[in-house]
Amino acid sequence: MRMLQVGRWITAVGLVLLAGVYVRALAYTPVEASQGLAQKIFYLHVPAAIWAETAMVLVGLASVFYLFTKDQRLDRFAAASAEVGTIFCAIVLTSGPIWGKPIWGTWWTWDARLTSTLFLFLLYAGYLLLRSAVTDPGARARFSAVLGICGMCEVPFIHLSVYMFPTLHPMPIVLQPGRPKLPGSMLATWLFSLGVFTLLYVGFVVQRYALSYQREQRESHA
Amino acid sequence: MPENGGYMIAAYVVVGAILIGYSLSLYLRARRSLRA
Repeated sequence: MRMLQVGRWITAVGLVLLAGVYVRALAYTPVEASQGLAQKIFYLHVPAAIWAETAMVLVGLASVFYLFTKDQRLDRFAAASAEVGTIFCAIVLTSGPIWGKPIWGTWWTWDARLTSTLFLFLLYAGYLLLRSAVTDPGARARFSAVLGICGMCEVPFIHLSVYMFPTLHPMPIVLQPGRPKLPGSMLATWLFSLGVFTLLYVGFVVQRYALSYQREQRESHA
Repeated sequence: MPENGGYMIAAYVVVGAILIGYSLSLYLRARRSLRA
């Protein structure tokens, strides 16, 4: 119960600060000359993409340790991180095409970065479906741990896809070797947004973890 | 400068709706769980 309240408070603070990101991005950050206002989608799209990928890496790491230790807390965390990662991946896959249409002239193209991100979303969906389909808790945890590890292995490919298959999607401008290629005010807004998405990830995962714990406690008493 | 502010507004609305929708979903699931 206490954990649920903590998660709710973190999420509430994250949502209030998200409004701050909107205000800062729309009113206090310069408009990029070649892309116009559509470039401001960057401040939501990239932090969501970073957390969609990081969430899957954390699912994979928790899964590896679960297979060695059989600690239920790791399985519970992996399930929570996967559900939240699905939400962030959905944000990437909706904000990306909305940004792509005015800049590339198309909503979607089978570019390596876009396709691998769609694959990540399908892996997340498969992970959640698998968990809901298997009723035995031990088998569910084992099977989903294997899928979680497969998902983690895809993440480096997503990040490197723009270097291996350079087509429409631009190269990273912040997470790349050397200094970020962004003016200071844009970088400050982006870092603020990344902090808010981090807070939202933590708040969501804590709430989702607490829900799983409550359900398991109820089932064990029944 | 290209005039594409509508796309930006659409993206900001969609992202806000997804995040608020998921927050509400967690809240409702927790309430249902406490009642059970």
